[in-house]
Amino acid sequence: MNLRDKLRAVDGGSKRHQQPQRQYTSCWQRRETRPMEDFPRVLEVRGETVMLMQGEEMPEDFDPRRILYLDTETTGFAGAGTVAFLVGVGSFAEDGFTVRQYLMRDYPEERFLLRALEEELAQFDVICSFNGRSFDVPLLRDRFLMNRMNPDCLDKPHIDLLHMARRVWKLRLKQCSLGRLEEAVLGIAREGDIPGAQVPQRFFDYLKTGQFDLLRDVIDHNAQDIASLCVLLSRMARMYEHPEEALHTEDVYAMGVALDRMRHPEEARRCYRLAMGGSLRTQSQLRLAVSYRRGGDRRQAKEIWQAMAMRREGGATPYIELAKHYEHVEKDIPAALEMTRRAMMLLSEPTLFDSTAVQEERNAVQYRYDRLKSRLKEQ
Amino acid sequence: MNVDQLADSLRRDPMFMENVVRWEELPARPAQYAPFPEGLDPRLVPVLQRRGVHQLYSHQAHAVREVLAGRDVVVVTPTASGKTMCYNLPVLSAILNNEDARALYLFPTKALSADQVSELYELIEEMGVDIKTYTYDGDTPGAARRAVRQAGHIVVTNPDMLHSGILPHHTKWVKLFENLKYIVIDEIHTYRGVFGSNLANVLRRLMRLCAFYGSHPQFILCSATIANPKELAETLTGRDVTLIDDNGAPMGRRHFVFYNPPVINRQLGIRKGVIPETRQIAGMLLKNGIQTITFARSRLTVEVLTKYLKDLMRDPLGNAGRVRGYRGGYLPTQRREIERGLRAGQIDAVVSTNALELGIDIGALDACVLCGYPGTIASAWQQAGRAGRRKGTSIVFFVASSAAIDQYIVSHPDYFLRQSPENALLNPDNLYILLSHFKCAAYELPFEDGDGFGNAPAPEELLGFLEEENILRHVDGRYHWMAEDFPASEISLRSAASENFVIIDITDPAHHRVIGEMDRYTVPMLLHENAIYMHEGQQYQVEKLDFDACKAFIRQVDTGYYTDANLNVSLSLLDVEKSEDTPEGGSCALGEVKVTTLVTMFKKIRFDTHETLGFGHVRLPETDMHTTAMWWTLPDSLCARFESDTLKNGMLAITNLLRIVAPLYLMCAPQDVAVLYQVKSPITDRPTVILYDNCPGGVGLAHKAYGMQKLLLEKALQIVTDCACTQGCPSCAGPVGEIGTDGKQTAMTLLKELIR
Repeated sequence: MNLRDKLRAVDGGSKRHQQPQRQYTSCWQRRETRPMEDFPRVLEVRGETVMLMQGEEMPEDFDPRRILYLDTETTGFAGAGTVAFLVGVGSFAEDGFTVRQYLMRDYPEERFLLRALEEELAQFDVICSFNGRSFDVPLLRDRFLMNRMNPDCLDKPHIDLLHMARRVWKLRLKQCSLGRLEEAVLGIAREGDIPGAQVPQRFFDYLKTGQFDLLRDVIDHNAQDIASLCVLLSRMARMYEHPEEALHTEDVYAMGVALDRMRHPEEARRCYRLAMGGSLRTQSQLRLAVSYRRGGDRRQAKEIWQAMAMRREGGATPYIELAKHYEHVEKDIPAALEMTRRAMMLLSEPTLFDSTAVQEERNAVQYRYDRLKSRLKEQ
Repeated sequence: MNVDQLADSLRRDPMFMENVVRWEELPARPAQYAPFPEGLDPRLVPVLQRRGVHQLYSHQAHAVREVLAGRDVVVVTPTASGKTMCYNLPVLSAILNNEDARALYLFPTKALSADQVSELYELIEEMGVDIKTYTYDGDTPGAARRAVRQAGHIVVTNPDMLHSGILPHHTKWVKLFENLKYIVIDEIHTYRGVFGSNLANVLRRLMRLCAFYGSHPQFILCSATIANPKELAETLTGRDVTLIDDNGAPMGRRHFVFYNPPVINRQLGIRKGVIPETRQIAGMLLKNGIQTITFARSRLTVEVLTKYLKDLMRDPLGNAGRVRGYRGGYLPTQRREIERGLRAGQIDAVVSTNALELGIDIGALDACVLCGYPGTIASAWQQAGRAGRRKGTSIVFFVASSAAIDQYIVSHPDYFLRQSPENALLNPDNLYILLSHFKCAAYELPFEDGDGFGNAPAPEELLGFLEEENILRHVDGRYHWMAEDFPASEISLRSAASENFVIIDITDPAHHRVIGEMDRYTVPMLLHENAIYMHEGQQYQVEKLDFDACKAFIRQVDTGYYTDANLNVSLSLLDVEKSEDTPEGGSCALGEVKVTTLVTMFKKIRFDTHETLGFGHVRLPETDMHTTAMWWTLPDSLCARFESDTLKNGMLAITNLLRIVAPLYLMCAPQDVAVLYQVKSPITDRPTVILYDNCPGGVGLAHKAYGMQKLLLEKALQIVTDCACTQGCPSCAGPVGEIGTDGKQTAMTLLKELIR
C-alpha cells in the first residue's frame, strides 16, 4: 500500500481515538525512606572538600542536608522532542535518606511533574547528579520552556559527579559509568537491572498498553541511581580527605593529578607521596618534583631527581630534569653537561623498534648536549 | 582594443559573422535614483554617505520602504544591482532601534554566506556599533556556538543547518525566536524542485516556532530574474508577498552574440566542437586585454579550457597566472583569492562552472563566453550578467554545442531573448516531503487539535496517520512525540530520497577517502559494480556497491572506455486524477504512477569512436518510486496508419523531442523530468507517451505539463519541422541510427494529428 492509500485509510485520527476525557490533576509519586545505616558518613561531607573536588565555589553554609540528588529517565537524547518522564530526587530527612520520584503517566501530567520538581528544588541549595550539567539539567530546562514555565529554579550550584569520578577512576577503571562505579567502587551489585538503552522503549510500551508494571524496573533503577549518587559523593569526599585510606594507589595518583590541575599543590603532593608506594612510583616522584619546582621549591625538586637517579628510576628523565636545573637555576654548565651526557648514555643504542617519541627525546637530548657544549666553550 | 572596437572589427569579419546567427544589441540603461526612505535609523545614512552612497537606486528605496511599512517583499534583481542593501538597511535599522531585535539570513551555500557577511561587517564596523553577526553552519566550532545562540543579532546560516541544527533545538535559541524580526532569504531562485519543496516546509516549521515564542517576523527575499518570483516567494513562505522589480541600477550597452560552430557533416548534423570554438573566442578576448569570464558546463571542461588559455598566455613573466579556473572542489581560501584577483583586475580570464553564477562578488567583467547552454534561461542570464559594467560596453558570446537544447536555443534566439526565464516550480505539499517535515514539526512542538501546518492540506489526516504508526500520541487535545528517533536526521533537503550513497575512493589502501555522494535513484545507473565513474576528470571503476550500507567503493583506473547502463523502466498506474479527450479518440491524462527501475546490464563504450566494446551484467534490486505523471494516448485510427516498427520509431522521436522541449517550457533542469513511450502501455493498453516528475511524489512538473500539453507538442513539432536535417539528427528527433529512416517523418505526422 502506498502512502496516500494509507493516509486515506486513516479516517480522521482525532475522532477515532475518542477516549473518555480524563482529568489530569497530578503526576504519579512515590516516596521511600532508606535507613541511615545504608549511608555511613554521608553527613560528614564538607563544602571545602567538594570545592577541592570540583574546583568551584560552594555555598558558605554548605550542608549535606541541603543537597538535592537528582536523576531523570528520558525518552531519548537531547532535542525538543525528548521528555524526562521520570524525575527522581533524594535528600536526608530525620529518619534516613528519602527518595521521591515523580512520573508522568501520560504527557498531560508533565506540568505536574515539573511543578513538583520546582517545589523540591526550592527547598535545597545544591544539586548533585551524574552528568546532569550536560544532560539532565539542560533537558529539564527545555521542558520548563516547552511548558511555558520558568526554568530559573534549575540555576543552582551543581555537583556533577561524572567529571569528578572520571578524574579519579578513569586511570584504573577505564570506563566510568555509574553502574561500573557502583560495582568497582561502592561494591554494590545490581540484579535484574534494566539497561539504560531500553528505558525509552519501556515507557512507550507502557503508554501503548497501559501496563504500569512495565515501568517498575525503570522506577527501581532510578531510585537506586539516586541512592548511589549520595554514597558516591561521600565516598569520593572521604578519599580526598583521607587518601591514606585508599586501597588503590592509581586512584590516589589520579587524585593528585586532579588536585594539581585545580591548583591545590599541598594536597596534590600528599597524594603523590602516598602513591609512591605503588605501581606508579616513578610517575608519582616525577609529578611530585614538578609540583615542587612549580611552587618555587627548587631544592626539594632537585633532591627527588637526584634520589631517582641514584636508584636508577625514571630512565633518562631525572637526568634531563637535573640538567635543566643546573643550567637554569644553579648556572652550573659543566654539571648540566654531565647530566646531559648521562641521559644520552641511557638513551643510546638505538634499536629498530624505537617509537618516534623515544627518537624525538634522543634528538632533543642531543641538541641540548651540543648547545651546552658550545656554551661551555664561549665561557 | 576595447570592447567597442572589438565588436566593430568582428562585425566586419565575414569569416566570423558566417557563424553568427544573431547579434543583439541591448541599449544602455541609465540609473534611477531615489532618496533614502523615511524611517531608517538616522545613524545609517551618514555611514552610507561616507562610503559614497548618497542616494539609493529606485528598487532599493522601494524595497526598504515596503519593508519598513511591514510588508513581506521579494526583490528581483539582476547581477550586481546592489541587492544586499535591500535587506541590510532595514535589518541594521531595526537592530539600531532595538538591540534585542534579531534577524536570520539564509543563503543556499556556505561560500555565499561568507561573502555577504563580510560586506555586512564593513558597514557595522564603519558605524562603530555593537551588532553581532555570526555564521552558524557545519564549520562553526562548538565553543563558538553558545555565543551565536545567545548573542548573535544576525545569524547567517543555510537551510540544511536551520533544518537539522537549529529548529530541533529551538529551546537553545529562545533569544532568537522571541525577537526574530526579519528572515532574509537570498537567491530564492535556487529553491526550486525538491530543494524548494523542502525549504518551504522548513519555513512552515520555523513560523510555527516563532508563533510559539510570540514573534512575527517579516520576510525579505531576493531572487535572480525568473518568470514567477512572486509566486515562488509566496509558495515558499505561504504569505502574500510584495514584488519589487523596478531595477534602478544602471547598465552599459551590451552585445549578445549567438554563435553556432560551423557544420562539418551536414547529413549527420555534426558541427565543430564547442570547446575549440570557445577556446578561440576567449583567446581572442584575452589577447585584446579584455577581462573575460567563461562558463563551462562540467568541471572537466573548465579544466581543459583553463589549460588552453593558460598555454596561450604562458611567458617567462608568469602571465599564465592571469588565467584561472574556478569550480566546486577548490579550497575555500583558493576561491577567495581568485575572487579578490578578479575584483582587483589582477586576473584577466577566469573559466568557471556555474559556481560563479550565484551572487559571489567578483566585480563586473567586460566579456562573458558561454561554452554551451547552461540549461535554463535564468542561469544563462545570470551567467551573462557577470559581464556588464555600470558604464561602458560589454559583450556576451553564446557558443552553442551540438546538444539538442543548444541547437534549439541558437536557432531560436528570440525564444531566449523574448521569453521570460523559467518558472521555478516547487510543491511543498508533495506528500513524502510534507510528511517528513510534519514529523519534524511534531517533534519540535506538539500539535494541538485544530492546529494547521502552514497552508498544508489536511493536517488531521497526517496526524491520524502518525498516531496510527505509534509515532505520535494523541492525548488531552495534543499530539506528543512518542519515539526515540530524531526525525530531522532522516531528511536531506537537497534530494527527495533520504539516504544518499557515499562514494569512497579506495585506491590508497591506507587512506580511504570519501569523494562524493549520490542519491539512491541515480546510483544503479552510475555506480553499479564495474561501472566507470568519472570524477574531476579522473576515471574510477566501481569495485563494490554495498546497497544496504549505502556505500560505493571505487578505485582509480585508466581505461579507454566508459560505461553506459541500460535502465529498464516499467510503470504501473495508481490513480488517474484527470483526463481529457483529444481528437480522433485519443486522450491526455494526469495521475499517479509507480515507476519501477531496474538496471540489468551495461555497455562498455570506447572513448572517441563510441563503439561498443562489450557488455556486463548488473545485479541490483529494483527501485520503486511513486510519482506524478501525465501521458498522451495515441488514437487507434492514427496508429493504424503505420507499421508497428514505424510507429515505434515515430514515438521514440517524439520522446526525444519532448525531452528537449519539456525542460524549456516547464522551467526545470533536464534531469527533473523523464519522458518515455510504450507501444502497449500497461496504463492505457494503447500506444502511449509518458512524461513524469523524476523525483518521489513529484514537484508539480507533470501537472504543469498537463496544463500546457498542446503547447509542448506544438513546440516539439516546430523543432523537428525547422531542423534542416533530412531524416533526423541529434539536435531534433534523434540520429537516424536510433530512430530509423522513417522516425522523423512519422513523428511529424503524429504530432500534427495530435494537435489538430
